Amino acid sequence: MRRNARSLIIIALIILITSLVLLNQKFEINNFERGSDAPLGLSLGLDLQGGSHLVYQSNLKDPITNTLVPVTKDQMESLVRTVERRINSSGLGEPIIQILGDDRLLIQLPGIKDPSRAKDLIGETARLEFKHRILNVQPELIKELTVKDVIAITPDILLQDGKLLSTQKSQNSGTETSELETYAALVIEFSDAGVEKFSKIAETIQSSYLTSLQANAAGKSYPPSQLLINIGENDPISITSGGNQILQYEDTNKFIFALPVSMNEGIVKQEIPAEDITTKTSSDFFVSFSNLPGFIDEEIGLSGDDLSNAYPSQHQGSGAPIVNIEFDKEGTKIFGELTSQIYAKQQESGIKDQIAIILDGDDLIAPVVNSPITAGTAIIQGPDFTLERVKDLSLLLESGRLPIPIQLIQERDVDAILGAQSLEKSVVAGIVGLTLVLLFMTLYYRIPGLIASIALIIYASIILSIFKLLPVTLTLSGVAAAILSIGMAVDANILIFERMKDELRSGRTLNTSINIGFNRAWPAIRDGNVSTLITCAILYWFSEQLGATIVQGFAVTLAIGVVISMFSAIMISRSLMRAIALTPLSKHISFFIPSGGGKLSKQLAQ
Amino acid sequence: MNFAEKRLWFFIISILIITPGIFYLITSPGLKLGIDFTGGSSTTVQFPLDLNIEQSDIRSILIDLNYGESTVQNLSDNHFFIKTKELNDEEKSNLEDTLISSLSPESSSLITSFDLVSPVVATETVIAAAWAVLAASIGIFIYIWWAFRNVPKPLRYGTAAIIALIHDAVIVIGVFAILGKLADIEINTMFLIGLLTIIGYSVNDTIVIFDRIRENVLTYSNRQFTEIINLSISETLGRSFNTSFTLLITLLALLLFGGVTIREFLYVLIIGVAAGTYSSIGIASQILVVWDQKHIGSIFTKKHS
Repeated sequence: MRRNARSLIIIALIILITSLVLLNQKFEINNFERGSDAPLGLSLGLDLQGGSHLVYQSNLKDPITNTLVPVTKDQMESLVRTVERRINSSGLGEPIIQILGDDRLLIQLPGIKDPSRAKDLIGETARLEFKHRILNVQPELIKELTVKDVIAITPDILLQDGKLLSTQKSQNSGTETSELETYAALVIEFSDAGVEKFSKIAETIQSSYLTSLQANAAGKSYPPSQLLINIGENDPISITSGGNQILQYEDTNKFIFALPVSMNEGIVKQEIPAEDITTKTSSDFFVSFSNLPGFIDEEIGLSGDDLSNAYPSQHQGSGAPIVNIEFDKEGTKIFGELTSQIYAKQQESGIKDQIAIILDGDDLIAPVVNSPITAGTAIIQGPDFTLERVKDLSLLLESGRLPIPIQLIQERDVDAILGAQSLEKSVVAGIVGLTLVLLFMTLYYRIPGLIASIALIIYASIILSIFKLLPVTLTLSGVAAAILSIGMAVDANILIFERMKDELRSGRTLNTSINIGFNRAWPAIRDGNVSTLITCAILYWFSEQLGATIVQGFAVTLAIGVVISMFSAIMISRSLMRAIALTPLSKHISFFIPSGGGKLSKQLAQ
Repeated sequence: MNFAEKRLWFFIISILIITPGIFYLITSPGLKLGIDFTGGSSTTVQFPLDLNIEQSDIRSILIDLNYGESTVQNLSDNHFFIKTKELNDEEKSNLEDTLISSLSPESSSLITSFDLVSPVVATETVIAAAWAVLAASIGIFIYIWWAFRNVPKPLRYGTAAIIALIHDAVIVIGVFAILGKLADIEINTMFLIGLLTIIGYSVNDTIVIFDRIRENVLTYSNRQFTEIINLSISETLGRSFNTSFTLLITLLALLLFGGVTIREFLYVLIIGVAAGTYSSIGIASQILVVWDQKHIGSIFTKKHS
């Protein structure tokens, strides 16, 4: 009896834990995070929440025989990384990507009903581009912003507290401000329409400056865009301002531009004297604005497709970490022409154009050229290169192209509304089915049936908790498997009660009957469930081969259900039965013997 | 009740059920294969409920679009299943646009689900399914042989269970061949899952009776084997009825309240559970009797001992 008390405590604990798990929609313990917005916080498969399921297969062919060639595990893993990066950078939600079998890729996109955009992204052969980054670009006149948008151009002094000297003067005239550090500045006051136009221009220049700062911090070179202001129509005064040199003055229509200064023998010298500007604007009030791009990236038709290899190594001479890149035949030709052109320009004008390597629209690295490279193999060096960084760079370069050509072989899209309907219907069906079963069990088997019903409810909550904790993604077939496993759990109970009934009829006490019933029923329960587990294992294997996630979900769910059903029948039902046997109810043996049907089976047995 | 005595009847009933199925199976077109086995696309569309859409409306649009070899099925209220050749993205949206413009101009979208299976996958599915059935049968056979190692002639139990299993699978496949012919029901991956589940159930059910036989053979070693079989069946009959009954209740609840998506799967299970319960008593156990009598003629012997 003491053992039974312990079992009862375990059952109470199970009820407590499963209620906690199921009633908290979402929970987090340390790094263990579970739950979702679905009922009971279970994680739902695509058929229940809507989404798209795509299976791709390698289409790597031998160029001569045109037959399929086996792919390596590395190629598949590299394929996963590439596809993952492409989908993640596109904002198509959180994909689930996995390798199926040897040469297949499963991509699940929850919530995406029409995956055509995802398919375009996945199918693109290359997202890595090589471009000629031309530096020292000619200014481009900003046509939409003219002198008509400008009200006044005045030189001024910016004080350290962010005020302009001119405004200070107007407020408290005569105050000396020379104690504060000051900056020579140009103030341009725009019309209302002008402010609107200029704010946008200032914003792009400022963001280019920030990008450049970030790039510099990451050890990359990224020349920022600047603004060129020409004051005066003839023989203009030119002022170049970067993103950090343009400032809107409080909330006014005035913009402040820092005037360029140079250091000469330790003395800061203003390059353009304020008087010059005053003179110029009074005689010739004209201003034009030009964009001075830091660089222009020119398309040269070189992409990740032309790259045949990228790998990290160390420089033979210095031992510094380097990235090696190799081009295919076409790539070698284009790369050779590009490097020769850049090198020639360098010799001629000293301007060091770069090769911009761009992955999914973001700069990866922009190396300069030290010599023309016509052999198709190059090394990239950098002062900040570490072993780790060259490894990452090589991986990223490699991931810019699909390592192997792929083709779509299976697609399954489910609309979210249909998914929600299926979920609702399954839940209703499950509840109706379970209620009917519990009703039948209780009416037919009486007290044992009631106990079995309680055990089944505990069983169902254990199953759901396990689904939530592992987590098992619940699909439509999984729901079917769960319901089927309830059937198996019922069967285990029925087997036991039928045995118990026989023992009770032969006049044994309730306690003995319970024990004998359970012991005798066990081999049948065990053998039946083991054979179901064998089927589950084979189903799982079968679905692995096929990439049929529906089948896999079914097998996993059924297997969990079968294992737990053995536990629930033996441990939960038995402990509760033994506990009942201690109560006064046990005096009424008839409460423990099935109604009507007992007679029937007795007749049949004769 | 003497079950063993009636074994001829059990065998005759089985043959009567299986024969029409086999007839439909071998005569053209046999099982109606879904895209999971043939390759192609299936598109389900849901029209607004206030429209009156006929299957033939959709069919004529498909013919206009040159999808001659396609089928249309009405799943439920204005919910249709369209099977065509493999559609690419462009063809798929073209189909949807055409359906909208000619049948339901107010809708913005109709497609609720879309499936595409390439013939490569389809061929593999068939091969893998065959292997799965074979592997499951062998696995179960070996397990039963091992589980009955303490009983005389354990090999027979494994064999009888496998024959009952094949019997159940053949009934399910045969019924689907008939349903395919009469009700246009196609088989898909879910059908395969159902079939494999039934294999599991069939064995599970057989094992319960075999377990009784195992126990009774050891307890009453002096009794006739036929007698033991009869006793074991009688003793487990209550359980057999009750278990099948509860399972069928659950399955019917799923069929009535669950979605149309798993309907074929449920048909398989309902037919299979019924067949499985019957075959444990009428086939698996009776094979043990026939085998015990040691000559094939005993199938027809009405009385023994």
